Amino acid sequence: MDARIKITVLLVGLGILLAFMPNPSSKSFKLKPGELLEKSGSEEIYFSVDEVARFINNEDSTVQLIDLRTADEFRTCNIPGSVNIPFKDLLNPNWSVYFNQKNMRTVFYGNGDQNANVAWTIVTGLGAENCFVMKGGLNEWFKTVMLTKFEGERITPRENALFENRYKAREIFNQINSLPDSLKTKFFDAKRLQRAKLDGGC
Amino acid sequence: MGPISVISSLPEWVNLLIGFIIGIGFGFALEQAGFSSSRKLAGMFYGYDTTVLKVFFTAAIVALVGSQFLSFFGLLDLSLVYVNPYFIGASIVGGIIMGAGFVMGGFCPGTGISALSIGKIDALFFLFGGFAGAFLFAETYPIIENFAISGFKGPMKVDEWMGISPGLFTFILIVAAAFLFWMAELAEKKFSRPGINSEN
Repeated sequence: MDARIKITVLLVGLGILLAFMPNPSSKSFKLKPGELLEKSGSEEIYFSVDEVARFINNEDSTVQLIDLRTADEFRTCNIPGSVNIPFKDLLNPNWSVYFNQKNMRTVFYGNGDQNANVAWTIVTGLGAENCFVMKGGLNEWFKTVMLTKFEGERITPRENALFENRYKAREIFNQINSLPDSLKTKFFDAKRLQRAKLDGGC
Repeated sequence: MGPISVISSLPEWVNLLIGFIIGIGFGFALEQAGFSSSRKLAGMFYGYDTTVLKVFFTAAIVALVGSQFLSFFGLLDLSLVYVNPYFIGASIVGGIIMGAGFVMGGFCPGTGISALSIGKIDALFFLFGGFAGAFLFAETYPIIENFAISGFKGPMKVDEWMGISPGLFTFILIVAAAFLFWMAELAEKKFSRPGINSEN
């Protein structure tokens, strides 16, 4: 038989196999229920707002904050450096790049804990590693980082470090969020583009 | 699990090195397939030599089948593979310009470089024209920018647009390719120009 016909028959055969294979883009849980239960029960999946404030202050490039609130809420205010992935849009394949970075810690936050916990469960169940939740969400962020004041008479070194961290994060938060919308949008678009910058051609 | 480089997680020089090595392989394959001859490439348009169609279509199908199987066995995450965004108007106009340049010059950019590397003078002039075009494009970009970015559809995939699974789409494409190859062989017989590919 002519080699070309052999190759054609082989490719058509492989094509028939592929045609009957399940769609790889259809998402299915990779973790077993027991594994997921064990992981979700651990306190290690949480970062406190103080820890997140430290990430912001240190411009920690191994942390990616994911804001799960709506686009409008995100535009009103957000933690600097975070990316907006509205909770309802979580499974959009465009976002999967944020959940599959081995060297990055992905930290979810919403207004409270609920959406962040559910997002953590779904994304971790789908096989993503290094996912975390900012405990208490933005409500806790405002309560602890934005509004607390030291009111005692003498401050211990530990308290001093804690409040210094909060004040610094508060300042960055206010600076970024006081930018006009257009600048903010440009900043985040540029960030996304930078991540997707990989091109090809003939 | 692939892809090897997720959004430039490797140092830039490693990315460039990988590109360099793949580039050498690609150029070598082009040259070995005879694509450094403008007569062979122009033959696609006149029907006397359809090697371009057969080689590129086969390469596309093999890559498609391979990536689907790698994805099925969990070795490649296709959702992380970059897909070029689609701009309707720019794609059509760009395609026409590229096609016209292809048939007039007898090369596409990759084969032009491949041909220049073995010392073809026509490829030198072809690439000079290509760079002049790129310069013109860059200089006139502010004027054509609105058109260039109009009709943005994002990273579209044909199987998603058709609403079928990637596997089924691959199968349809293989059958289409086999049919086209058969047609191409018929065309080669009908429009044959004996001796045109000889370099003498």
